[in-house]
Amino acid sequence: MENAPHRKIEVLGPGCARCKETYRVVQHVVEKEQLPFDVEKVESIERMVELGLMATPGVVIDGKIVVYGRIPKADEIRAILAKA
Amino acid sequence: MSPWAAALLGLGAVACWLALYLSLSRISGWLTYSVLGLAEGKHVSSAVEFLVFEVPKVLLLLTAVVFAVGIVRSYFTPERTRRILAGTRESVGTVLAALLGVVTPFCSCSAVPLFLGFVTAGVPLGVTFSFLISAPMVNEVALVLLFGLFGWKVAAIYMGTGLVIAMASGWTIGRLGMEDQLEPWVRKVRAGDGEEPIVAIGWRDRIGFGLEALREIVGKVWPYVVAGIAVGAAIHGWVPTNFMAKFMGKDVWWGVPLVVLIGIPMYSNAAGIIPVVQALLGKGAALGTVLAFMMSVISISTPEIIILRKVLRPKLIAVFVGVVTVGILLVGFLFNALL
Repeated sequence: MENAPHRKIEVLGPGCARCKETYRVVQHVVEKEQLPFDVEKVESIERMVELGLMATPGVVIDGKIVVYGRIPKADEIRAILAKA
Repeated sequence: MSPWAAALLGLGAVACWLALYLSLSRISGWLTYSVLGLAEGKHVSSAVEFLVFEVPKVLLLLTAVVFAVGIVRSYFTPERTRRILAGTRESVGTVLAALLGVVTPFCSCSAVPLFLGFVTAGVPLGVTFSFLISAPMVNEVALVLLFGLFGWKVAAIYMGTGLVIAMASGWTIGRLGMEDQLEPWVRKVRAGDGEEPIVAIGWRDRIGFGLEALREIVGKVWPYVVAGIAVGAAIHGWVPTNFMAKFMGKDVWWGVPLVVLIGIPMYSNAAGIIPVVQALLGKGAALGTVLAFMMSVISISTPEIIILRKVLRPKLIAVFVGVVTVGILLVGFLFNALL
């Protein structure tokens, strides 16, 4: 597991409180469960448009939107990451 | 939980809510004069009674409406709204956009991605602005507070004029043909397909969304409500009744432009501003002036303009701010003249 290449989770949002909270939730789950993901906070509007994201915050795994427009719960992220 | 138990629980919650709401005035009087032993007719007692009555009342109303709106919003995703708007004629779209602005989930930090999502999918610029103006202005928290503090007439006037300003501004911007005033990179982007995630949503999820909205919105705004009402209570008890008439009365013609000028750059959510508004009204400020102040504070703000600058050229921003400002001024003057 340690040496497996890390996949990318992007947390998209222009830097509002909800987006920071979402980043914190995702980061927390990844660290606690020691999952092979790199979590990145993305504030670029171009990226949001490219992905077709219209409501922030958005959680994106490998370029695919999994949650958007609300702050996800830790359990929800855990379940999503287990399946991803 | 079985559906029956859930329904029973729901009914119980509604009954508790009603019982509390209806007995609030008795409870607050009892608390102020019996428990705290304050003398009737004093400034401090009237301020305290106001506070212990208004805070729970507004919070109760807020809880009910935010929950209900959370459920309603689970039916309106931004994608669905966009699809509706992209497929209608511009005239109908402008009206529809303002109405959808009320029920589509919207947070001012999503304004830009949403704006781009609409424009790049072929929603006309005017229609997009109609949505963008109505969404923050006609907001459920504002409506609840207005209803709770001033009754349904003021709430309805606010909602009606807010929608009209959004539609009229959107229509005007549409007529001006300012598509060339988008930043060049915006015109180049292709819309992401923005497919709606296919998730089956049941009643249980919708109630979950309602509760989530409750936690997120009420959990966040209650300190503002309390602080705002406290300011209101202070003014209520101590400032002379007609104090505000001098600055914000009906006959002070410069009152409306002055408050709009102060309000436009300010940023506050509805919860923070309305109790202050109530205090102003109670002390002789005219309704038109106060509505104009409130609309200008919650509809446009400096942070929103800074964010929008990333996608709009200064000229279009100026037109946007100008058109909305004129609309708010007209509402202010109109109500001062009529009422």
